[in-house]
Amino acid sequence: MDELERYVEDKATQYIVVNLGIEHYGIDINYIDNIVRVPAIRRVPNVQDFFKGVINLRGEIVPVMSLRTKFEMPEIDYTGNTRIIIVKVDPQAAIGIIVDEVEQVMDIYDSQVEKVTGEKKEEANGYITYVGKTDRGLVSILNLATVIGEKEQT
Amino acid sequence: MDVSQYLGIFLDEAREHIQVLSDQMMTLEQEPENQDAINEIFRAAHSLKGMAGTMGYKRLQHLTHDMEDCFSDVRAGSMTVTSELMDVLFQALDAIEGYVNLIQETTDEGDNDNENIINEINRIRNAATGKGDAAPAAPAKSDKKADEASAEAAPAASDGKALYKQMKLDDSAKDVMKDAIAGGKHVLGFSVFIEESCLLKAARAFLVIKALEDMGDIVATDPTSQDIEDEKFDFSFSLFTICDEEIDKAKEAMLAVSEIAEVVGEEFTEEGIDSVGQAGGEKAEAPADAVEAAEPEAPAPKEENTAPAVKAETAPAPKKDQGAKAPATKKPVISKTIRVDIDKLDSLMNLVSELIIAKNTIVSAADNGDSSNQGLNEQVEYLESVTTNLHEAVMKVRMVPIESAVQKFPRMVRDLEKKLDKKMQLTITGEETELDRTVVDEIGDPLMHLIRNSADHGLEHPDERAASGKPELGTIFLNAFQDGNSVVIEVGDDGKGIDVEAVRQKIVERGLASEDTASQFTDKEVIDYLFDPGFSMAKKVTDISGRGVGLDVVKSNIESLGGDVSVKTKLGEGSTWIIRLPLTLAIIQALMVIIGDEKYAISLDSITTIENIPSTDVKLVQGKEVIQLRGTVIPIVRLSELLGFENAEQSDDMIVVIAKKGDSLAGLVVDELIGQQEIVIKSLGKYINTDRIISGATILGDGEVALIIDANALI
Repeated sequence: MDELERYVEDKATQYIVVNLGIEHYGIDINYIDNIVRVPAIRRVPNVQDFFKGVINLRGEIVPVMSLRTKFEMPEIDYTGNTRIIIVKVDPQAAIGIIVDEVEQVMDIYDSQVEKVTGEKKEEANGYITYVGKTDRGLVSILNLATVIGEKEQT
Repeated sequence: MDVSQYLGIFLDEAREHIQVLSDQMMTLEQEPENQDAINEIFRAAHSLKGMAGTMGYKRLQHLTHDMEDCFSDVRAGSMTVTSELMDVLFQALDAIEGYVNLIQETTDEGDNDNENIINEINRIRNAATGKGDAAPAAPAKSDKKADEASAEAAPAASDGKALYKQMKLDDSAKDVMKDAIAGGKHVLGFSVFIEESCLLKAARAFLVIKALEDMGDIVATDPTSQDIEDEKFDFSFSLFTICDEEIDKAKEAMLAVSEIAEVVGEEFTEEGIDSVGQAGGEKAEAPADAVEAAEPEAPAPKEENTAPAVKAETAPAPKKDQGAKAPATKKPVISKTIRVDIDKLDSLMNLVSELIIAKNTIVSAADNGDSSNQGLNEQVEYLESVTTNLHEAVMKVRMVPIESAVQKFPRMVRDLEKKLDKKMQLTITGEETELDRTVVDEIGDPLMHLIRNSADHGLEHPDERAASGKPELGTIFLNAFQDGNSVVIEVGDDGKGIDVEAVRQKIVERGLASEDTASQFTDKEVIDYLFDPGFSMAKKVTDISGRGVGLDVVKSNIESLGGDVSVKTKLGEGSTWIIRLPLTLAIIQALMVIIGDEKYAISLDSITTIENIPSTDVKLVQGKEVIQLRGTVIPIVRLSELLGFENAEQSDDMIVVIAKKGDSLAGLVVDELIGQQEIVIKSLGKYINTDRIISGATILGDGEVALIIDANALI
């Protein structure tokens, strides 16, 4: 009954939950084009530091960024679990986001989601607008537009 | 009738007609007596009217009709071309274009009747012709006919209507007809005149031909049957038929087709047939010209009537060449073309790009493999030449003349002339220069900005010009030409030029640089400020230019197309803006080099030579490293430093790639050369901020990514 009620009233969104260290982040599955292992990354000189370079994704050049650098977390070496999430917020422009590992696909219901406010919001630089409370703990839902969209001057 | 499927064709053709109208009206304004221009205008206006009527755009049809009436009067000589008349007609043309734009957006022509324009046209017509409103059409028509008749009758001794007598028949056709006469059949020549109000000329012509075919065989038509089918004729066509029936019966059958105004014809004897085409060739009618143009002189020697044929080609010349634009006003030589969606071309281009990447993969695999495999190597080379040719072919398909981007400018300058109260003329050369379609689409706005700039800031008022000893008529020019692998477009004027000192002052005034620094600037550095956003030299803002948006937009537009813009100016003598654009966008020949431990590509277009220079030859001038090469001092750029590598040990010899941008050179120091390669340019995407040195990336044969260095940004 509980589940059913939820089903009727709540809209669920599917997220890919990725991990950075011990933190969980959710990325709206609608924006995700692909998830790939880390190929050779070609450094591009003189760009924003969180851009690790570009990769050849089946003939397309895709810039990749490190979520760790973006969130001012220490870099770690890539492991067998490291993945690049290829997202397309703009269908014409793909971008890769490097994460430590991909955990699972998860339905998060509207009722589980809480808006980030106040101090915490400042801290997150607008990258995170909602937090989902799930059985697996807190999942910060990434606001992709701000994570990838802003152009910082180098 | 559902005509929506024809909407695309209608819009395309309407735009063509509007352009013809605009061009020819400009000519007419310059040369009010130019009969060709009037005829061309009349033809375009008439087609436009017909099309609008067919498509059910009543307002468009009405307005075009009134315009056509005007030209009809002009053609008949009952009205003279005045500036006032042309102003109104240009307004009407704008209104027509407005309708067409609206139709494109909404498929509907809207509900603006443009009554004021129509009234104005009628007022001028009535004033000029002194005729009442009631019967303008009829007299105009008869005038026109008289005009036509006199034009035809004067040179040609024969009956002006019997156009079939002037048809050029080849020997085999004549033989066939002679045989038929001998065989007791009737050989008939006809000229058929269709009513000028007819909307579906081709359909009427088809019915006429069909009627005749029921009774016999059509031997020849003028224009060709293909042209008749394509409606490439005026309101008359001529033909020869071998008929089983008497001439009256054939005539009757033809006149039974509706909207046929008149049929002129006669029966021929064997001798009569020989004389066909001999009588005259002085026909000034356009279809004949088109046919002549389509059939080059090759068949002429074979014909008996060589002399008249040559005459036919030369005779109209003195009349036609009144306007210097004679070749442009001729109907196009018929070539087979199809309209293709640009998206399809884009996807074709993308496929070619992928093919080239795949080819590069095979090339590098073959290089690494067993070199003794001669057969494989040969095939790989063959594949390379095929892909290169394919690439060129696809590029050529995408190339269009810049004409479509520049053809609106004469009209714009005319408007500016009135608005600014200056005297100016625009000369355009090289409008046939071809560029990639996407570039041509984008280049119009920047060019427009530059021309407006020249008109507003460049050219002086007539009195001012007279005072400084220049002709009152200012000249704005636009020259386009191909230069190696780029296309250069120069836009300039013979006006007052850029006052560098005034700009320098403005820089200080605006606090962009201190007075000391500003005085150190070279002229070029000062002028570069003009390209800065928000920097305007205009003393007052007009609606033509001077808001400070313009040159920066021009610059960024052109740079986004991979080109660059510079300016040459001389105070008092005018300035010239020079735009340089790459011929192709997506695939280039590049020099592959190694810097640090990474591979980079440099476009071959910007490279002049590659030199080995001993590192001891590097000198310091004003703190900058330079080398001397055959008497020229060239600044050098150490790419490894620029690209963020730790300074490696300096070897004794440096490899310096000498790059050129306009007149300036720079030496780019690289670590190692790999070789020349055809590469596909890929964008780095919009998220990544490069410092302009890196203009893109490419995928090499082994899947590795190499970055492309924009040498232009380094000079």
